[in-house]
Amino acid sequence: MTVQLKGRPEVITIQWIPKYTFMERLGHWLHTATFVPLAITGMILYFPFLQPLAQGEAGLFIRLVHRVAAVIFGLLPIVYYLVEPRRLILHLREFLLRKEDIGWLKAAPAYYLLGKHEAMPPQGRFNAGEKLNGLMMIVTWFVFGITGIPMWFGKGVIPPEIFRWLVVFHDLAMIVSVCMLMVHLYLAVAHPLMWAGLVSMRFGVTSAEYAAEHHAKWFYGPKRAMEMWEAKKREAAHH
Amino acid sequence: MNGKKSEIQMSRREFLGLSALGLGIALANARPAAATRAVAPDEVAILYDPVKCVGCKACQMACKRWNKLPNESTDPLGIYESPQGLSAITWNIIKLRRTETGWHFFNYQCMHCTDAACVEVCPTGALYHDPKGFVALDRDKCNGCGYCTQFCPYGVPHLQVENALTGRAKSAKCVFCQDRLWAGIGGPRCAEVCPVGALTWGKRGELLEKARARVAELQAKGMSARLYGETEAGGLHRLSILLDEPEAYGLPSVPKTPTFARAWQRIIQPLGNVAFGAALLGIFGVFLFVRRKIRMEEVK
Ligand code: HEM
Repeated sequence: MTVQLKGRPEVITIQWIPKYTFMERLGHWLHTATFVPLAITGMILYFPFLQPLAQGEAGLFIRLVHRVAAVIFGLLPIVYYLVEPRRLILHLREFLLRKEDIGWLKAAPAYYLLGKHEAMPPQGRFNAGEKLNGLMMIVTWFVFGITGIPMWFGKGVIPPEIFRWLVVFHDLAMIVSVCMLMVHLYLAVAHPLMWAGLVSMRFGVTSAEYAAEHHAKWFYGPKRAMEMWEAKKREAAHH
Repeated sequence: MNGKKSEIQMSRREFLGLSALGLGIALANARPAAATRAVAPDEVAILYDPVKCVGCKACQMACKRWNKLPNESTDPLGIYESPQGLSAITWNIIKLRRTETGWHFFNYQCMHCTDAACVEVCPTGALYHDPKGFVALDRDKCNGCGYCTQFCPYGVPHLQVENALTGRAKSAKCVFCQDRLWAGIGGPRCAEVCPVGALTWGKRGELLEKARARVAELQAKGMSARLYGETEAGGLHRLSILLDEPEAYGLPSVPKTPTFARAWQRIIQPLGNVAFGAALLGIFGVFLFVRRKIRMEEVK
């Protein structure tokens, strides 16, 4: 595909390669479509300044929306991995943090703030930051479920001493996950380096050049990516 | 040159705007100071004296009648207690309690705390303090979340559940016959009908004096009497004379949930809001910085 940027003479050629399957994208957007209403309806109970929306019939309605969305939110990963069990192994392998992810952490400030690519070690289909985000999402998914289900069905069944802690931990999971969503949203929508991220989550494809630059371990394979990276470092040391 | 300058100025304005938004969100959770209220002697209260109580249950009946609460079917256990506890449709009940001095009647109803955990955790403001001091409930505002039922140190509020799956419910509890008080009809019906003066109502300061005198009188007779409610949970508006440890009546010596509720609402939640504010500000700062440092045309 060729594109011409507004007000610029040259034509850029982009070679698109597949990155996410249809099911992965569907899962991502269904997760979004349930998480956002859950966060909004939950925050109506959380923020005193939203109190008018929590009262009476409106409050009964937002609590109902929270429950309907919670069912889909909770079942989504389970159904997804029942349908595509092999992706479970792939995703777990992709999201597991490794020692070399420290390299991402060290290079991240210069990379994200100044656009310095040189010090960033090669990353897989998901970089270490995405991994951290993903792992926290897994953790908070469990926390929401473990606390939310007894909050739904447990009143009068479980001891109030336990219920009180459940609400507090439900809140904490919300605080952590909403903060993560804000960062995720900025990187996906507004950060210039990440321009292809939203494209690939919408259409499933990414630019080959972008993939080589940002996800070398995935694009070239881990072995070749590391060799290229070592060679680049040696070359830089010579100069 | 000129263009660049205006771009920076605009960023600054945006920055200030967002700073204000971040700060606003961080402060949005600040609860009105009124919730940490002090109890005043001219507030109203009920005093219960179990030594005078004959267990006739007139209070229980009068409560049902005035508040139009339906009958409750109970297990025929062949014991005195019927129904077996407070519920969404039983707001006042006499139970039998075994204490140091033997079996006694004891009346249970809302304790109307000054430091009320239910008011603290209620996300709708349906539970609130009446200017006369007791804890009132606006059922139209209630959304049935049931937090009050889980945080009350006395297990008083109960949910009237319409649908457990959708969560459709309303909280219910004794409201000190608020309607009677404000209409000038009288006071709490339970105290008005008590034939032996075991339940009385009036100004809290006066009732406290009366209760102290009664405790001294009972102690002089050799009973281990004590007053419950003077300072518990910031001061209760239902004062009780006890003949044993509070625990013998199922009452906590030190109600802990108001402290827990306050820690949740006024420390953990505001800290969460600081996290939201910091995240928003941080992201916006990075956005402004990166916009100038990284040029799209250099990006692959
Ligand atoms: C498995 C998923 C979830 C379940 C089963 C669940 C269930 C619940 C329940 C039962 C309540 C209490 C209100 C009521 O009874 O209606 C609640 C409150 C709440 N939920 Fe969830 N929820 C889930 C996911 C989430 C998510 C993803 C978020 C936010 C991102 C969230 C945020 C909240 C908040 C902020 C509250 C209010 C707590 C407070 O009063 O401070 N929940 N949830």
